[in-house]
Order: sequence, then structure tokens, then C-alpha cells
Amino acid sequence: MQDTIPEGKWQRAGIVGSTALKVGLREVQHKVKRPFLSAQRQQAAKQEVDDHNARQLFAALTQLRGTALKAAQMLSMEVELLPERYRRELEKSFHQVPPLNRVLVRKAVQAQFGKPPEHLFATFDSQAFAAASLGQVHAATLPDGTPVAVKIQYPGIHVAMDNDIQLLRKLARRLPNAEIALQSLQEIQARLREEVDYLHEAHTTEWFRGQLALTGVSVPQVYAEWSGERVLTTQFMHGKHLDDWLATNPGQALRDKAAQQLYDTLVYSTRTLKRLHADPNPGNYLFHDDGSVSLIDFGCVKQLSGTFAATLPRLLQAFLADDYDAIMRAYRALGMEHNQANPTWYQDVLRPFAEWAARPLREEHFDFGKHSDYTSTAREIIQRLAGTSGLNKVADEFIFFDRTIYGLCKMFERMGATVSIRQHWL
Amino acid sequence: MKINAQDQQLTRVRILEAAVDVITIKGFKSATMREIAKQAQVGDATIYNYFPTKEKLLYGYCEYVQQQVMLELKEISDFHEYSVQEQLQQLVETNLRVWLPAREFLQQVFEISFAEPVAGFTNIAETKRLFTAMVVDMLDAAVEAGEIPDQPYRELLPRLFWDYMTGIMAYWLKDTSEGFANTTQVIDRSMELVANILQQGMVGKLLDLASFLFRTHIMSHMDSLKNLYQAPDLAAAKRRFMEGK
Repeated sequence: MQDTIPEGKWQRAGIVGSTALKVGLREVQHKVKRPFLSAQRQQAAKQEVDDHNARQLFAALTQLRGTALKAAQMLSMEVELLPERYRRELEKSFHQVPPLNRVLVRKAVQAQFGKPPEHLFATFDSQAFAAASLGQVHAATLPDGTPVAVKIQYPGIHVAMDNDIQLLRKLARRLPNAEIALQSLQEIQARLREEVDYLHEAHTTEWFRGQLALTGVSVPQVYAEWSGERVLTTQFMHGKHLDDWLATNPGQALRDKAAQQLYDTLVYSTRTLKRLHADPNPGNYLFHDDGSVSLIDFGCVKQLSGTFAATLPRLLQAFLADDYDAIMRAYRALGMEHNQANPTWYQDVLRPFAEWAARPLREEHFDFGKHSDYTSTAREIIQRLAGTSGLNKVADEFIFFDRTIYGLCKMFERMGATVSIRQHWL
Repeated sequence: MKINAQDQQLTRVRILEAAVDVITIKGFKSATMREIAKQAQVGDATIYNYFPTKEKLLYGYCEYVQQQVMLELKEISDFHEYSVQEQLQQLVETNLRVWLPAREFLQQVFEISFAEPVAGFTNIAETKRLFTAMVVDMLDAAVEAGEIPDQPYRELLPRLFWDYMTGIMAYWLKDTSEGFANTTQVIDRSMELVANILQQGMVGKLLDLASFLFRTHIMSHMDSLKNLYQAPDLAAAKRRFMEGK
């Protein structure tokens, strides 16, 4: 009966309420015990509490499924915001958005266009070929024979979404770094609202298709007549997902080419377009036999400020030069405040991070095959950065930029690709 | 002759739709047959040829909805490929979709049927028959195709599903979420439960349990009653009585 999902807000509230209560109870027990424990035992006990809380949190989230899960995914991508233990439990929840059966697919199409799928399309495959954010994708052909991908949203998911976020917010207050988690939940809610609005996505996809003028990178065409708020029809892109593509054993040159194009796209989007395709899920990229790539799924796009685009290179250069004053100037320019109370903060916390972030800039071509532990070495560093109160405020652009670059680097590691990163920033 | 029958059917539908309009605006109690006839553009006397009472109109529309649902399901070309869960879910969703323009009217049907359960029960019988016939169809096909095991007490299942449908409708009538999103979720999620119940033959097992308990405990009490009847002094007393002593 693992498939039965709690219904309605009342029952959901029950679940979260009880979990929050349990988490709270544990914390109290822990605090009561603490004075009597030795320092070492204290550390072990704290971990035990963290472990227990992570399990509770995860149990609550898996019971909620749907949007809560989506938000959980996004939160767990924000590695730096959650303690390792929470994150590990949350990552288990990936790839589990409930599927739509034929009845719901039909209902969604009918609700959008007033006609069932067979009256709209020449052919319509009732079995989805891919999962999408909060929905799934079906292969179909237009009446003129054009093959298309039809993305369909789980009916009513947008209504459940706000409730879920509300409940997650309750849970987040229990996290060790609640303030930053709450701040990013707010960002995530804004993104999720955009993500369930397929008209917005249609618009953004069209925009990127027009603006992203890089060879070897393509964006699908949107068919507006067959698209609406809850259904999005785009050109069917051939090509393979990362793992399938890698399974065909593409040569080093092809892998380097594909990775370089993805990195170039990131830089071009950040510095020139000032709009970022900010969902670094590997499922959102398709790879072709000639090493070219397609970007699909523009549900999560972050608008970047001019200041951010202008300051970012300066910040990276300051990281590279290990220049404390320049780093702080850049941070201040981005509206981030440094907490002066802790004098060793730079040395202990920020400096290792800066060193890590600047590492790919030290070489003309950075070989992710050789440095395949690049992202995994960062976890502890990033966590320490988020765990301390060195920064009072984090620019929300960073949440998305870091998430994107981190996701990309993970892909590069899997590809074992060599990428020229330095040239873009110096 | 055929045209005549067709005309009759069209008039019937026109009257039913007029009834929905008038009853929705005025409420069942205040609406009059005269107003409905006027709205349907038929004579005051004609309407009684089709529907002798206002109740007949009310439940006549419910039957009409089921006929519409049946037609819509037949329209779905790959419906036979649906799993039994999908078929049943489609039945529920189509019911709500066909009811949607007359949702307030349905509210009245609920109020009246629940206010007078006995009258409501007889009046709704035909609607129930039409609905359960579709469920029987789906279940039979699924059993025949080996999709679900043969269901003991199979005649009970469609009636239980009717009760489920009634519950869903009651929820839907109270649902204030945008686009009745909550109802969609309740249906989607509860259908998984229904599918599990069918898959496991759960209803049969529950009834088997009930019947076991009944046989073992109630019937054994019957035995002690029998013992009581056949107790030696009682039997002797009875014999004496019968023999007039």
C-alpha cells in the first residue's frame, strides 16, 4: 500500500504536525541531556539527533509526495543549506513524482483545450516517455505530421503546491539554519509557481530559442496553438539523455565538445542574456551523436541582475587572487553582509571555499576526468560556509547560480570531460 | 414513425434541460411544472405526458446523465485498453464532467434524496441500475481478461462502487478548490485503493470473515438455544402440555 497518498490538507497537516512535534521533542530531550554529557558524547548525541530528525523529515516528505517532493528535491540540491544528514535522506526522494494515468492525461488535455487528445493530435501516445517537472511528457504528432513532445501537468498540482510549501515552511523552522532555509523556500515557491505555469515556460523557451545564438546548442520550437497553462507542446527533440548517451561510448573529443557547449551556454546566459536555465537536472539536456546538445524544459529560469552579472567575474578573480578586500567588496556590491563578529571566519570558512571555487580557473583546461572528486570535496566546505553565521544575507541569485554550476560540474565529472573555464572569467 | 420517436426523445431532453435551468434558479420546491413547460416551449399538458411529477423530472435528469456518460465512454477509442482502475476512474471523472453544468441541480437532488431516504431510494433506482451496469461491464471484462482475480460476491461490488460514487459527488459538491482540484486528487488517490481492493479480492475476504464469525458465534448460540428447547425437563413439560395433562 505504499501508493496510498494522504488526501486533503487536514490529513497532511496531521502528518507534518506530528513530525514537527517529534522533531521538537527530540531536540528537547537532547538539550536536557546535554549538560551531563562529555564533549565527545555531546557531538555523538547531536549526530544521533540529526540522524533521527532527518529520518522523520524524510518520512513526512515521502508521505506528502507531489510538490513537497519537488521542493524537497530543490532543497536537497541546495547542498549548502542542509546538513549532510538531512540531504542524504532527501536525495532518496528523487525521481518519484506520481505518474498520470490515461484518465488524468485525458482530463488535463480536455480541461485545457475542451477536446480529448485524439481530436487534437493525429497520433497521441498515451504512455509517457519521460517524466517532467510536476508532470510527464507524451509523444504525439500534429495534424500535419510534425512529431511533437506534449508535456502535461498533474491536474490540480498548482492548488496543492501552496499548501505544501506552507507545511514545509513549518518543518524548515526546525532546521539548524532555519533562516537561510526559509529564505530559499520563498525563492523556491516563486520558481515553483512559474514552473506550473506552462505559458510562462512557453514564453521563456521561445525567448531562449531566439536569443541563445551558440552553435551546437539548440532549443525546441513551441507550438502555441497546442499549448496552454497546463499543457505545453514543443518540437520533438531527438537525442539521448546523459546516461544513455554515455552508454554509446562517445569519444573524448565529443564529450569535451558537449561539456564545453554546456559551460559556454552557462556563461553566455549569465553574462550576456542575464537569464539562467537554472534547473541543472541532467534530464533537462539531450545529447546528440555529433556532440551537440539540446536544452529542454525551461520551467526554471532565473533572471539575474546587471550587478550580479558584472560582479561575478570580479568575485571569481578575487577568489583566485585570495584577496580578502576584493571579495568583501564584491559581496557588498551584491547586497551580502559580512558578520564582523567572527574574525577567523575568512580564514577558516570562506577561504577554503574561495580556493575550491577558483580551482578550475587555475588551469587553461580543467580535466574533470582527473578531478572527478571536484564536487564531492566541496560538500564539507560549502556546508561549513552555510553552517556558520559568517554571512547574514545571501543574494538569491547565488542560490540559483551555485545550484546550476554545481549540477553542471557533476555532469562534467560523469562525462570525464575537459572544459576551458579560465578563458571566460579572466 | 421513427422520426416521431426521435422527436419524442428530443422533446424529452429539452424538458429535462429546462427543468435543470428552472430548478437551479428557483429551487426544487418553488419551481412549478408550468414554468418548466414554458421554458421548454411545450404545452402545459404535454409535459405531464413525459413526466407526471416533478420528482420524475429530477430523477429523469439523473438517468439522462448516465446515458450521456455511457455515450462518452463509448467515444474513447482505446477504452478497452485501459486498466480496470483507469476505466473506473474514467467513469467517475466523466460522471462529474457531465454533471458539471448542472452541479447546483445535483445539489438539489442530494438534498431531496437525503431528506426522504426511502422515496429517494426508489426514485433513484433506475439511475443506479444504469450506473452499476457499466461497472458490471468493466469488472466482468477485467475478470475475463485475467486482469483481476474472479471476485466472490461480484454482484455486491458494483453497488459498493455506486456508494463510492455518491461519496465522491458529495465531496465534489463541497469542494471549493480551484477547478475542483481537490476532488481530482481524492479520486486519483482513492482509485488506487479501489484497485488494490479488487486485486486482492478484499471485499470477498471481508465477507468471508464476517460469515465465519457469524457461523461460529451466532450459529453456536443457536445451538445452545436448541439445547434449551430440547432440555429434558422442558421436553417433558411440553409433552405433558400437549397431552393435556
